[in-house]
Amino acid sequence: MDLLAQVLVNGMLLGGLYAVMALGLALVWGVLNIVNLAHGAFIMLGGYLSWYLYTYAGIDPFLGLPLTAVVMFAVGYGVQRGLLNLIVRAPMFNTLLVTFGIEVVLTYLAQLAFSADFRTINPSYVGDSIALGTVVLPVSRLLAFGIAILLTVSMWLFLLRTRLGRAIRATAQNLVAARLYGVEPRHLYAMTFGIGIALAGAAGGLYGTVSQINPYIGAALTAKSFAISIIGGLDNPLGVIVGGLFLGILESLTALYIGSTFSDVASFGVLVLVLIVRPTGLLGKAA
Amino acid sequence: MSSVFRISRLSALLLFAAAVAMPSGEVLAKEIVLGASVQLTGPVANTGRYYRDAYQLAVDRINAAGGVKIGNDSYKLALKLYDNQSDVNLSVRQYTQLVSQDKVDFLLGPFASNFALADSAVSEKYRIPMVQGGGASDQIFSRGFKFIFGTLAPASNYFGSTIEMLKGLDPAPKSVALLYADDAFDVSVAEGTRPKLKKAGLTLVMDERYSTNATDFSSLLSQIKSKNIDAVLVAGHETEILNFVRQAKSLAVAPKMYSFTVGVPSEDFRKALGTDADYAFGMTAWLPSADLKDRWFGDAAQFAAVYKAKFGYDPDYHAASGVADVEVLVQAAEMAGSTDPAKVRDALSKVKFDSLYGPVEFNESGQIDLPQTVIQVQGDRLVAIYGGNRKIAPPKYPMPAWDVR
Amino acid sequence: MLLLAAIAVLAAVPWFGSDVLIQFGINALLLAVLAQGWNVIGGYAGYASFGNSVFYGLGSYGVAIAMAQWQLPFGGGLLFGAALAAVFAVLIGIPVLRLRGHYFAIATLALAQVMAAIVSNVKLAGRNVGLVLPPLNNDPLFYELSLLLLVLATLTVYWLTRSRFGFGLIAIRENEEGAAVMGVNTTLYKTVAFAISGVFSALAGGIHAYWVTFIDPESAFDIGLNVKMIIMAVFGGPGTVFGPVVGALSLSALSELLSSEITSLAGLFFGVVVVVAVVVMPRGLADVLRRFRCMGWRYFAENIRSHQL
Repeated sequence: MDLLAQVLVNGMLLGGLYAVMALGLALVWGVLNIVNLAHGAFIMLGGYLSWYLYTYAGIDPFLGLPLTAVVMFAVGYGVQRGLLNLIVRAPMFNTLLVTFGIEVVLTYLAQLAFSADFRTINPSYVGDSIALGTVVLPVSRLLAFGIAILLTVSMWLFLLRTRLGRAIRATAQNLVAARLYGVEPRHLYAMTFGIGIALAGAAGGLYGTVSQINPYIGAALTAKSFAISIIGGLDNPLGVIVGGLFLGILESLTALYIGSTFSDVASFGVLVLVLIVRPTGLLGKAA
Repeated sequence: MSSVFRISRLSALLLFAAAVAMPSGEVLAKEIVLGASVQLTGPVANTGRYYRDAYQLAVDRINAAGGVKIGNDSYKLALKLYDNQSDVNLSVRQYTQLVSQDKVDFLLGPFASNFALADSAVSEKYRIPMVQGGGASDQIFSRGFKFIFGTLAPASNYFGSTIEMLKGLDPAPKSVALLYADDAFDVSVAEGTRPKLKKAGLTLVMDERYSTNATDFSSLLSQIKSKNIDAVLVAGHETEILNFVRQAKSLAVAPKMYSFTVGVPSEDFRKALGTDADYAFGMTAWLPSADLKDRWFGDAAQFAAVYKAKFGYDPDYHAASGVADVEVLVQAAEMAGSTDPAKVRDALSKVKFDSLYGPVEFNESGQIDLPQTVIQVQGDRLVAIYGGNRKIAPPKYPMPAWDVR
Repeated sequence: MLLLAAIAVLAAVPWFGSDVLIQFGINALLLAVLAQGWNVIGGYAGYASFGNSVFYGLGSYGVAIAMAQWQLPFGGGLLFGAALAAVFAVLIGIPVLRLRGHYFAIATLALAQVMAAIVSNVKLAGRNVGLVLPPLNNDPLFYELSLLLLVLATLTVYWLTRSRFGFGLIAIRENEEGAAVMGVNTTLYKTVAFAISGVFSALAGGIHAYWVTFIDPESAFDIGLNVKMIIMAVFGGPGTVFGPVVGALSLSALSELLSSEITSLAGLFFGVVVVVAVVVMPRGLADVLRRFRCMGWRYFAENIRSHQL
């Protein structure tokens, strides 16, 4: 019973980390209809940025998240404005191909710049844990969970309540009307993508405290983020919390009762099922 | 019709251009060319590059000492190295290119058992000897191939000396957990470890296979904790073991001891973990000891110094194994008195000499047999604990809980 | 005609080419088969599958299991692999082909991942360690087999362009609701297209497995293949008969050239080529050849202008 409780808690906290990772992807996909296959590579870059800030400037990775996010926002803005805006109205799979190309380029540049050594971000408190009865809660994952909730709720409020958020949603839904209102869509698209990449960068910083960073982690992280985004549903940013929790708990329970090698079968299997049965996801409006 | 004509003309032209553009190998007289396809980029590159460094250092050193002496002639060694980008299919093509286009004399191996498994099919096909120091899986040597030789100790014996050591620990560990990744090497390790544990009278309470490249070990760690397991043996890759240790700390899981098949001997790994690496056991078939004499480097300690000075990091057994590969090819060629692949192959099966890596000799399947020495991270030092059936130094045991370290 | 001459030239390569050229040829030809297979479901039917590697893997494992575990001959293995692919395409295709656009793409990608994960747990398939096939040292044979497969695949696509089935697929691509209203059995047509695409991919995988004599889930279900085959088909010209062949051969040549000269930067250049190609010539090389003569360099600018925000 204790073991089950611990495993469930593990799953929940893992879910929180997953949610942070997927948030940027879900935002850009749900609002702009841009499927970013390079999402994981941007997480990786954010991780390296946090590592450099921590190792050379002594900036705590959690406190330094806003700084990482700002830099990554600029990167994302540039990529959208300079490159992705050029293919927004092309058939959907062109964005898939271009973002794939970006992923390859970023991975190789990272390998050249940072070498294949793996880096960990290791402030002293990161390995600590809090005991709640017989259940152990790792501090790093707990913080990641908290940040996941904070960011997701903020994103939800931003899109629903602020003027900029509503402008972004309006632009994505109706370009012509948006232009008539004097909104500059190129700027808005770039802003949104920038926010998505800023979120990815922040996730990278968190990821570095619980796991390790090397140039090749991008692809697997993108795949995970996809699964989470779809399972949770793209209509609502809160979906990533649902998707993340669901996947985290599913994987932990699968590892416990069936075997660790079946985690991928479970997560991707559920993804396929969700796509077939309810493509808009658990939180999405029924099609 | 005209566009069809244009397109087929275009494709024929492109194929022709590709054929012409492929580099043709030129071999100077009095040169022995060694070819290798190694992981210099891609997910396994952090270990793959040790082989590039090792091969290059060995070639340079042997050349500086006069090269290879065959009969009355002196041959210089040359190294032709390709980056297989951690892609098995590409490495197979590159080995084929080394043999059939670059016309190298002998082959040096890649890192990792699954690569060695695939690439040795090329050396067997073209009947060119390949000496590899990166693949330890028994599978590589159980196919009846004659042209593959390996300087890594057999996977099935990796935990041999560790289990011997376990028997002598006080308080004796009663329950053991065996975790292993599902790739060729680690599956071999697990298969060899189970009977040894049984023979030693240790109870295997958890026997779990996990996916290669797994990042989350929380479920496994929680089970270890709830079952109160004393000794944990993990067969996996550096990235996985790194995650394992960090997650063990954050979940407050501290068995009496844990031992890992990789990671502990490399400086890179210990640096990434920092103080969390303390107490971790590992094993190595090689330590830079001055007792291991070598024809070209003096001894293993001198080799380690030269290596560190040139490349900036301490060599571990991968590097030593890579150097041994080059040395054994030279020894075999000199013994055979020729560079003919078949003759050198026969010489390799009979060669026996001492090197900085230890005594080099292959069994009938082509694999070396070296015992592993148990090592442990103690503070900021790596200490040899147990080897050759005897205790060398006292281990730090049992491992205390994380919050009282 | 000139086409036969081109095929004759390609078929003669094992006699005048080096070993390395033959190896490169086998790889390029198999990739061309994959691109052509994708062309059927992605180029003609308009359903961009991002997971055809699942069929490639099924074909590889079909041959490997048949030969290594059951001691069947190669032909039997190929049949087994093709059958696996066809059954899979029908069973899974029916539910998955109801999805559109990105959802279909993601679903197929997820399928490829699921199959790789499932196979790595199946004892008969050697779990994650993989299987070793009996070795056959006859590259020219594999080369000719691959060439034959490519010719068959291209002929199939050619037949498509002349048949009701093909017109039905194009109708589905252009306007699926309209096609249904006009009496096209969209589910049947899409599933058959998916199965054709799958069978060719499986045969390519089977040949590759026997040639390399060793497979494991990562290399058999290689996810990177998906993007490669799509890039090649798109680069050459999707929805055309020869586009994927040209795209595959030219990009393979480029990639091989880079891999042998600059190795570490090869992947980087490839990524850059992909990005540039998709932005300035999204309709492929075939379209470039056709329009460049009248429009010159404005062609590329026009492409960007019509697709940008």
